Amino acid sequence: MVQLGGTLLQIAFLLGVVTLVASAWYVKTLDLRFYVGGRRSLMTACGLVLIATATLVQQLMVGNYALEYVARYSSRATEGLYKIAGLWAGMEGSLLFWAAILSIYILLVSYSNRSANRSLMPYVNMVFAVVLLFFLLVIVNFENPFTLLPAGTTIEARGGTGLNPQLTHPAMLIHPPMLYLGYVGFVVPFAFAVAALITNRLDATWIRSTRVWTLWPWLFLGVGVILGGYWAYAELGWGGYWAWDPVENASFLPWLTGTAYLHSVIIQEKKNMLRMWNVILIMITFILTIFGTYLTRSGILSSVHAFASTDLGIWFFGFVVLIIAFCTALLIWRKDELTSTSQLESFTSRESGFLFNNMLFLALTMAILWGTMFPILSEAVRGIQITVGSPYFNRITSPIGMLLLAMIGVGPLLAWRKTSRSTLLRNFKWPVSTGLAAMAVAMFLGVRKFYPALTLGLVVFVFTGIVLEVFHGVTARKRMTGEGTWTALLSMVDKNRTRYGGYIVHIGILLMFIGFAGRAFTKEQDVSLGKGESMVLGGYTFTLDNFYTQQRPTHTAFVADVAVTREHKPVTMLHPERRIYANFEETPNTEVAIYSRPLQDIYAIVGGMNPDTQKIVLKIMLNPLVQMVWIGGFIMMLGTLVTIRPSRAERKLRAAEA
Amino acid sequence: MPKQRRKFVVLIVAFTIVTFGWITIGTGADEVPYVSISHLLSEGHTMVQENFRLGGYVEEGSIVYADDHLTVEFTMLQEDARLKVRFTGLAPDMFKDDAEVIVEGRLQGDLFVANNLMTKCASRYEVDLTEPGIEAHMEI
Repeated sequence: MVQLGGTLLQIAFLLGVVTLVASAWYVKTLDLRFYVGGRRSLMTACGLVLIATATLVQQLMVGNYALEYVARYSSRATEGLYKIAGLWAGMEGSLLFWAAILSIYILLVSYSNRSANRSLMPYVNMVFAVVLLFFLLVIVNFENPFTLLPAGTTIEARGGTGLNPQLTHPAMLIHPPMLYLGYVGFVVPFAFAVAALITNRLDATWIRSTRVWTLWPWLFLGVGVILGGYWAYAELGWGGYWAWDPVENASFLPWLTGTAYLHSVIIQEKKNMLRMWNVILIMITFILTIFGTYLTRSGILSSVHAFASTDLGIWFFGFVVLIIAFCTALLIWRKDELTSTSQLESFTSRESGFLFNNMLFLALTMAILWGTMFPILSEAVRGIQITVGSPYFNRITSPIGMLLLAMIGVGPLLAWRKTSRSTLLRNFKWPVSTGLAAMAVAMFLGVRKFYPALTLGLVVFVFTGIVLEVFHGVTARKRMTGEGTWTALLSMVDKNRTRYGGYIVHIGILLMFIGFAGRAFTKEQDVSLGKGESMVLGGYTFTLDNFYTQQRPTHTAFVADVAVTREHKPVTMLHPERRIYANFEETPNTEVAIYSRPLQDIYAIVGGMNPDTQKIVLKIMLNPLVQMVWIGGFIMMLGTLVTIRPSRAERKLRAAEA
Repeated sequence: MPKQRRKFVVLIVAFTIVTFGWITIGTGADEVPYVSISHLLSEGHTMVQENFRLGGYVEEGSIVYADDHLTVEFTMLQEDARLKVRFTGLAPDMFKDDAEVIVEGRLQGDLFVANNLMTKCASRYEVDLTEPGIEAHMEI
């Protein structure tokens, strides 16, 4: 019964091949039956993949420990929802999860285009089929989650190993699915771009058709990356949220190029420029998602995320090379048609603002990619593996980040085509002066570090620009329509959701930058304390009231009670723990204690006890402004949703059509 | 080519060159070569980099904590080579005898002063059932 899952995947594979052949035949003969047949077999294949995935989830839930995969990533002790998390905890399951999400996207796209884009869809379906076939091939032949354990294996009797306790954190229920939804979703605009190239329909139709299909994956990927940071911060206990780990970088890279793409398509929609550029950007983004999956799954780079290394790498690498070759060939074939008809007229125009923004995003992508690949490149060239860690990444990305931050403010202040000197002066006068003023005040108040002071200045500069934009918009609308302030604001946002949703996203980014700047002021101390002893850090007194061991159902916990006071007034009690879980005796687990306030987190970790001195080791950190990163991320999400939601006029139109 | 367009092309090319230079040239100072212990001991003094990354195992019984439990010294083993390592800070959860560790830092005489101590565990998120020690451990 259980192996049925594997059989379903094999049938899905065959149906994928049928899709390829039928769609190709339709393109040749224009016999509509083949188009419909190809489409139906693709949708059926997707349905089968989803059923197979549901089977695995069901096996994880009921705990069929005869399946090797279930025995490894679930156990009797694993709690309810975390049993589902087993689906993406291991290699086999996560590849199946990839295929399942791809199937959902394919089904949704097929449904929403059932009577639209008839000329593009056969090619879109073919691209979908190729990607799905690749994943099914890998799953069925190398990483089949429906493999039974050899008879008489001990873990079956023991009721499974269970999920690694570090992964039992609520963020882990959402972070991987979000990342996958983001990663996989970029296949949709990619498929449309390829279809547009092949059919030579290079106007903005394919971009408009995929607008929503780009925004959702971009949102999911962004939320996934931020949640990953949150998990690292709340669970791993080193006090940070971003370590420039290869796998983190792999998820960040397609987000960066995707962001560049979201900006540059605006130019194509408005001006029919940058057509080649947009196609290239979405190709790079898609390639980076596959490449990211390759980095994660192959184990060629050592990382905290390292899955056991496998020989899968070569397949993924081959697939990446194949896609690059295919894309390059397509671009060369269509290079004449892709050349823009209109041109940039001036440096001080909205168009060139977008262009600089794009160049900065690509520079950032290149810098991070270079650092990530450096160990491999240096080994190939110099024969010695050389890593470049956080210092490299921080030093290289900071100035590019600052320029990008500045561009967030500069872009919207520039006019289309050409900005006259007087407009330039009028638009920049207030933002620049408030930015400089903020910088001066910050330095006066003792912010002597260069980047934090600059960040603050730029944030205020950008924010003033946005506020003025909105203010002018609302005033003009009030004058025109006689609406009240709120009505005017809401209808203005509704009329131009891309723009104002974008501003909300920008405000989220500003908050995140403030959070990043806060890291420069982190205070940290490792200390060894006995019962009743205390230490002082940043004006707070930390007293170790007690420490003890507690037996709990799933683990044994070593707990420290730390009282935090400031000027003799109690602030909070922190209870950092070190847990030892059944099945994972060899790997104690840090349970961080965090006291969060908008301006500062107090962060405590407990290490081991020295039996000779009866003292324990504590790590105490004061992390200013970390909350801004999470709040900023949340605002970013809201802004994207504002952009995604159709305007009232569009909704009416759709209702009328339906 | 129109003048305006040429200006843009020049700008983009210049930007690309500057970016690439910026990314690659400055790398030297942050480079941390991953070397073997014997390589570091024999040739470390001839290399331009100051910081190195080493991988190896903690020799059994070699871990000595200072009184405050904050500074730890141990001997790292890699094949036949041995090296004394000192690290100050909170050692990671999995740091113990025979653990596979990665350290970063610099050599001072015979002592490797590490500013970073990481425990490596290939099976961190995945139990490798084929690895001998693991199966035994799972029998407990």
